[in-house]
Amino acid sequence: MPETTQFAGIDGTTGGYNSLQAGTVLLARYKIMSVLGGGGQGAVYQARDLNFPDVKKLVAVKEMLNPATDPSLRASTIKTFQREANILATLSHPAIPKIYDFFDWNDRAYLVMEYIHGSDLEELLSKTKSLPVDKVIEWAIDLCDVLEYLHNHQPEPIIFRDMKPANVMIDNLGKARLIDFGIARTFQPNVKKTMIGTEGYSAPEQYKGNAAPSSDIYSLGATLHHVLSRRDPRLEPPFSWPERPLLDLNDQVPPALAAIVEKAVEFDPEKRFQSCLEMKKALEELRYRPFSMGGDNGHHALDRREEVSKFLSGELGSQPEPRWQFKTEDEIRCNPIVYRDLVFVGSYDTNMWALRLQNGELVWKFATNGGIASSPIIDEENRAVLFGSEDYSFYSVDIRSGRINWSYRTEGRIRSTAQLAHGRVFFGSDDGHLYGLMAANGRFLWKYDLGSEVQSSPVVTNEIIIVGSASGEVAAVDLSGGKRKWGVRAKRGVLSSPYVDQVEGFCYFGSSDQHVYAVDTSVGFTAWRFHTRGSVISSPTMQNGILFFGSADNNVYAIDAQTRREKWKFATEKPIVGSPTIYQDAVYIGGTDGYLYCIDINTGKERWKFKTNGPITSKPCIAGDTLLVGSMDHTLYALPLIG
Amino acid sequence: MDLFRRLFSQTSTKPENAPEELNKEQGEPDNVETKQFTEVSEGNDVTESAEYTPSDGATRPLPLESVISTKNSHLRFGQSTDVGMVRNNNQDAVLSFFSTSRSVEEQPDFGLFIVADGMGGHHDGEKASAMTARLVTNHVMNHIYLPMLNDRGSNDRPPITEILVEGVQKANADVISQVPEGGTTLTAVTVIGDLAYIVHVGDSRVYLVTKDGLEQITRDHSLVRRLIELDQLTEEEAVDHPQKNVLYRAIGQSETLEVDANTKRLPPNSRLLLCSDGLWNLVDDKEIGEIVMSHDNPQEACDKLVALANTRGGTDNITAILLLIPG
Repeated sequence: MPETTQFAGIDGTTGGYNSLQAGTVLLARYKIMSVLGGGGQGAVYQARDLNFPDVKKLVAVKEMLNPATDPSLRASTIKTFQREANILATLSHPAIPKIYDFFDWNDRAYLVMEYIHGSDLEELLSKTKSLPVDKVIEWAIDLCDVLEYLHNHQPEPIIFRDMKPANVMIDNLGKARLIDFGIARTFQPNVKKTMIGTEGYSAPEQYKGNAAPSSDIYSLGATLHHVLSRRDPRLEPPFSWPERPLLDLNDQVPPALAAIVEKAVEFDPEKRFQSCLEMKKALEELRYRPFSMGGDNGHHALDRREEVSKFLSGELGSQPEPRWQFKTEDEIRCNPIVYRDLVFVGSYDTNMWALRLQNGELVWKFATNGGIASSPIIDEENRAVLFGSEDYSFYSVDIRSGRINWSYRTEGRIRSTAQLAHGRVFFGSDDGHLYGLMAANGRFLWKYDLGSEVQSSPVVTNEIIIVGSASGEVAAVDLSGGKRKWGVRAKRGVLSSPYVDQVEGFCYFGSSDQHVYAVDTSVGFTAWRFHTRGSVISSPTMQNGILFFGSADNNVYAIDAQTRREKWKFATEKPIVGSPTIYQDAVYIGGTDGYLYCIDINTGKERWKFKTNGPITSKPCIAGDTLLVGSMDHTLYALPLIG
Repeated sequence: MDLFRRLFSQTSTKPENAPEELNKEQGEPDNVETKQFTEVSEGNDVTESAEYTPSDGATRPLPLESVISTKNSHLRFGQSTDVGMVRNNNQDAVLSFFSTSRSVEEQPDFGLFIVADGMGGHHDGEKASAMTARLVTNHVMNHIYLPMLNDRGSNDRPPITEILVEGVQKANADVISQVPEGGTTLTAVTVIGDLAYIVHVGDSRVYLVTKDGLEQITRDHSLVRRLIELDQLTEEEAVDHPQKNVLYRAIGQSETLEVDANTKRLPPNSRLLLCSDGLWNLVDDKEIGEIVMSHDNPQEACDKLVALANTRGGTDNITAILLLIPG
């Protein structure tokens, strides 16, 4: 009979732990087949009960280590194990695995119990994308039932103390079973500092050693919160449930269920359910309330109720009426710009339009030979509007008359918006170059080869100019001579404009590789990046340390640049390609769903939205109390700013 | 060298005669040809000397102090660790690395500073902290510093923050498998140029000190800190709380580890202090601020902080690293 390898570290020194080998037979009855799990406390094995030679009767064998060296300590530990095993042996509940045997052998204790076919919740969470809410409710009811049974045990209530996803198995019949009754706990070694491992699920009073039935209720709530939100509480600061509201994280969760979970994890035990029976009853109510998946479930109803009350109290604005709108002959993809009483916007109809800000009356239009996707900028000193066209040329046009001052031809389409600095104008071309020309007369100064289309708008800071390209390369080039200072590379194209925070010395830009990057501008090292689920073609903008941008994953993000945590996320139905504009306490951004959204800068809640008939891919412009935005429905809208 | 060029280059003042070498070392009047300087050119890293009065027509050498430029100053650091007055062994691990260079390639200054406070019976704590400090350093050298020395060109390496967090998580995995009963805190500061990248797990701390005051940059991953944040406990109650030393996050605890990571620009003339709780538990913020700002020698300041903690009982191992940022 193969012997177990002697546990080398039984005197307490660490030396590694040797588990039983497959084939070992314990007590001449239990043949070890494989290791199911376990760790520092001792392994759990799958074994076969040889008393039933004709069938394969499987059992689970839990091994408990006793690393104490002091003989009386060892004896008392064994007594503790025995006492708990005796209690377990008398328990009878469908959710509790049956205990068959208990013995010690070779300085270790063994517990033989029912083998459960199934997976634990931790495994299920890692193997699935989502778990159906109605099943979670059923499991919660099963668990409340078994906890209630334990809490009502005579003569003394049994507190489970370790409720967490890893200790809940879902068997082949879909029922929840409790495993690991803490009987396999080792004697805690005397450590200088106590480390609590899986405390994400432990109630606050448990840290003081006071476990009560309400602690189990807390842990059950924590387990349900993890399963429904898919956010592991061990990875967050303890007791930070309010930072992760269930309704925000899982739109399949009905508000009533969120309320039950939140009540269970109240910090103060007095505020939780006072018994599992109470919690179970609350969950049972949910069983019979009809709600459909991905449709008109309670969550949306609540939203609409909120909307109605907000509307009535004047909080939610109705759609604003445009002051005027001007229809061009093709899509408007670029941002409008205002100079005094004029507004300029380019259209895919090849024209640069100059309209009166007041009423949208046409003042002049300038025709090029290609669509205009680049946004115009104003050169005040030379009284000109500067912009590029897909006809390969860059133009300077007189503000008042609409007559050409000069033009410069590159070897590719120009979609990048120019930047003006020190009397020079900088812009990129699809011919792969960043150009620097004299703004007054278009005289060529230098060009820098980025190797692929430059559609992003360059940003000038201190003495460098930063621009991205279609290959993902972002270069910082010296303003005076076009000499490269540094470069970083994203995995896919950088099509939007970088944003530079001069004070902190960071440059932020989005990439089609779904990230927003933060680069230390003094040395050109990428400090961090933020992941979204879609290309970031929107140009970020920042205020008070919060970075705002849209992603093709349909969301508008507000992230804290310091902590890199999401402050809020605003969901729309379609990708966001346009860039946000901030004005006072609101964020204005257009979506490809055709809406121009006004979002509260602090809460991320919608204030109002304006519908156009085509995607909005540009950035709104604000002048005084008017907001100007162009849409791919060919129209430029002038909206009054509310409040 | 820079000053020399500035004083004699064509774009600034135009000396009538051919330039002569200014003897910086001795500054003796006999070795210097008479030269009239009508003005000092721009890029003033020359301090004005009160005695220098150019209007009397006589020529004299510039005072030495006005010629010393601060362009070559760089970060200086001190490092101290002590077993304390009560413990038998020192389970803290500490490491400092700093490199500064000047050349046409413009390599940024680079520093790595680590404090790890080990915990666990017997020798597990010191094994865990030593191993963690070494592994993190190894990772940073291989993935950040050495690549920096290779021709940088356009880099597509992962962001610095991600590389650092990965290093900490690898160390965590190794500690769990090789020192299963041990754990450690880990606080590491990587300085590139004037930007500090801080990665942190546990209750060792990083403070930024300026003449305006002291700011604790890291968050203690201790239970009492969390209870204080939630207004469940006051600072006073925390001092004697039974779970004062309980950490909810440490290296060697669990396979999934969340690492705090942030960046901080280091202002000129500021100080950055990394320390284990053996220091901050016995020396309060105000005292730390005073000692740190009043010493120009960072090693002396560290030694003083450690000594102060010892006079207060030295109940735990004490470790400190102090960085002095140039002005």
